[in-house]
Amino acid sequence: MDLGSLLNALILGVSIASIWLIAALGLTIIYGTAGVINMAHGEFIMLGAYSSYMLQFYLGLPYLLCLPASFVIVALVGLALERGLIRYLYNRPLDTLLATYGVSLVLMQGVRLIFGSDPKYLAVPEMFQSNVMLGSASISAFRIVVLGITAFLVFALWLLFYKTRFGVQVRAVMQNKEMAASFGINSGRIYMMTFALGAGLAGVAGALFGVLAIVLPTMGASYVVQAFLMVVVGGGSLAGSVVASGVTGEMQSVFAFFTNDTFARFIIFVLIVVFLRFRPQGLFAQAGARR
Amino acid sequence: MGNLYHNKTAQWLTYAVFFAGFAVIPMTVDDSFLLNQLATYGVYGMLALSISLCWGFGGILNLGQGIAFGLGAYGMAMTMQMQTQDESNPIPPFMLNNSLDHLPMLWQPFQNTYVGMILAVAAPTLFCAVFGGIMFRARVSGPFFAIMTLAMLSAFYTIIIDRQPYTGGVNGLTPPSSLQFAGYEVDPYSPTAYWVVFGFLLGATVIAKLITQSSFGLVTQAIRDDSERVRFLGYSVAGYETVIYTVSGLIAAIAGCCWVMLVQYVSPAQLDVGFSLSMVIWAAIGGRYSLLGSILGAFIIQGAQSYLGDTFLATWLLILGGFFIIVVRFLPNGLASLVESGLGLFAAKRGPASAEPNGDAKPIPAE
Repeated sequence: MDLGSLLNALILGVSIASIWLIAALGLTIIYGTAGVINMAHGEFIMLGAYSSYMLQFYLGLPYLLCLPASFVIVALVGLALERGLIRYLYNRPLDTLLATYGVSLVLMQGVRLIFGSDPKYLAVPEMFQSNVMLGSASISAFRIVVLGITAFLVFALWLLFYKTRFGVQVRAVMQNKEMAASFGINSGRIYMMTFALGAGLAGVAGALFGVLAIVLPTMGASYVVQAFLMVVVGGGSLAGSVVASGVTGEMQSVFAFFTNDTFARFIIFVLIVVFLRFRPQGLFAQAGARR
Repeated sequence: MGNLYHNKTAQWLTYAVFFAGFAVIPMTVDDSFLLNQLATYGVYGMLALSISLCWGFGGILNLGQGIAFGLGAYGMAMTMQMQTQDESNPIPPFMLNNSLDHLPMLWQPFQNTYVGMILAVAAPTLFCAVFGGIMFRARVSGPFFAIMTLAMLSAFYTIIIDRQPYTGGVNGLTPPSSLQFAGYEVDPYSPTAYWVVFGFLLGATVIAKLITQSSFGLVTQAIRDDSERVRFLGYSVAGYETVIYTVSGLIAAIAGCCWVMLVQYVSPAQLDVGFSLSMVIWAAIGGRYSLLGSILGAFIIQGAQSYLGDTFLATWLLILGGFFIIVVRFLPNGLASLVESGLGLFAAKRGPASAEPNGDAKPIPAE
C-alpha cells in the first residue's frame, strides 16, 4: 500500500469535492428554499460559461471580472424564468421538474443555434496555468482557485443566510410559508430572489467549469444529476451540501485510486441510493421542511 | 347524460378503433423501411404506456424507465449475439478485441435463446420489484423517488460503459443477424416483426386498461391522490406501489426486447437520462391520466421528430422544449384533457338538466 499516492488521492479529492460543491450550491438554495427541482440548473452552468466566453471574446474583459459578470447575467436569466414560469408552479413540485426540463432543452438548443456546436475555450491569466506542489501531489493552480472561490461563496452564503435580515426572511419562508407571510414577509419576492441567487451561483460555476473543461452547449447535462444527488443527500441545507460534496468527492477520488473513474462513479451512485434508502430526508434535514 | 369521455364502453370502443387503424397499416404500406419505423413507434408507445400506468395511475414519477428498457434491450441483444456464435467461434468478436478468451459467466445463459429471452424480461422486472420494494417500504416517494431512479439510471449507464469486455462499452452491441425464433427468422423489416410489436402493444394496453379499471387500480389511484389517507384506511401502500411499478417495468422490458429485434442494436444511449426523460415527455404531452393519450403522445412527438425534424433540423429541440413548457404550464393533464373538456362541453349542451352531483369539484379522470 503506497501511502504517498493515497495521500495524493485525498488531496485531489478535496479539489473534486469543491467542484461538485460549487455545481450544487445554486441548486441547494433553489431546492432548499422553494422545493423547486430545477432541471435547467446544468444549462444555467452552461450559460455562465458562455457569458464569460462572450465577455472575454467580444469585450476583452479580464477573466477575474468575468466571474461576477457571469453571476449577474445568469441571475437575470433566472429572474426572468422565475417570473415567467416557475412562480406558477410552486404548488406542483413534480411539474417544476418537467417544466424546467423543457427550459433546459430550449436553452441548450438556443445556445447551439447562436454559438454553434464547436467547443469554445476560456483564457485564464498565466499565473493560473501552472501546477502547484501540495506535499507530494501536483495539482493545477486553477483547481486551487476553484477551491478558494467555493470556500468564499460558502462563507458569503452563510453570512447572507444567518447574519442578515434577508436571510432570516428566507429561513422563515423555508420553514413555513403561510406563517411567514402572516408576519409580513413577501414570500413571492423571497422565492424570486433566491431563484435568481441560485441561478447566479450556477453562472459562477459555469465560468469556472469553462476553464476546467471545454465550453459546449451540452456541457450542463453532465453536472445536473451529480449536483442533484449532492443536494438530496445533504437534505437541501447549505451545511448538508458541503458535507455531502466533501464526503463523496473524497470517496470518488479514493475509489478511483483503487479502480478507475467510471467505476468509482458507479460505486458512488449505488452508495447514494443505499444511503437515501435509510435516510430519505438527507444528512441535515431542515426543521419542519420535510418535502 | 354524463361526459362521454368517462364512459367505459366508449373508451373501449376508442381503443378498438385505434388498434384497428394500427392493424390496417401493414396491408396498405409496402415500404418496408416505413413499416419498421412505424413498428419502432409502437415500442415508444409501449414505453409511454408504461409511464402512464406508473405515473398517471400510481403517482410514481419514474425518471429511470430506461433501466428496465435498457436491461431488456441488452438481454435481447445478448441473446441475438449468441445466436450467431457457434462451436468454432464461441465468443463475440468484441470480447476478443478486449482480450477476453472465454465466455463470461454473465453471458452463458444467453447461449440458449429461450433462457436468454426469459432472462431479458425477467431480470429488469425482478430489479424493479426489488428496487421498488425496498424504496417504497422506506416510504420514499414523490420527487425523492424520481431522483433515486435518476441516480440508479446513471449507475447502470456508467457501469455498462465501464465494463467494456462484457457489455461492449460505449459502442454497445450490434448483433450481426436478425432474431431466430423457433426455427424462424424474424426479419425486422417484415410485417411479421410489425405484428409482434403490435401484439405486445395491444396486450400491454388491454392489461393496463383492465388494471386501471380493477379495484387494484382504484387503490393505486387513491394512493396517487393521497397516500397517507389510503395508508390509514389499512392498505399496504408500499405493496400496491411496488406492484404497479413492477408491471410498468415489465412493459418497458418487453419494449426493450422488441426494440432490439427491430433495430438490431443497443448502446448505453438507451440508458441515457435524456431518453428516459423523453418517455416522460411523451406521457405528459399526451396526457398521463389516459393510457391511449400517452401512446398517442409518443406517436405525435416521435412522428413529428422524424418528419418535422428534417425540416426544422436546428430548431426542433427548441420547438419541443417550448411546446412541453406550454403543456406543463397550461395543460398539466396533457392533450387528452382537451378531449375530456371538449366532450364535457358537448355533454353539458345535450342535457343541462342532468348535471353531475358534484359538478364543481373537478374530478381527476379515471381514464
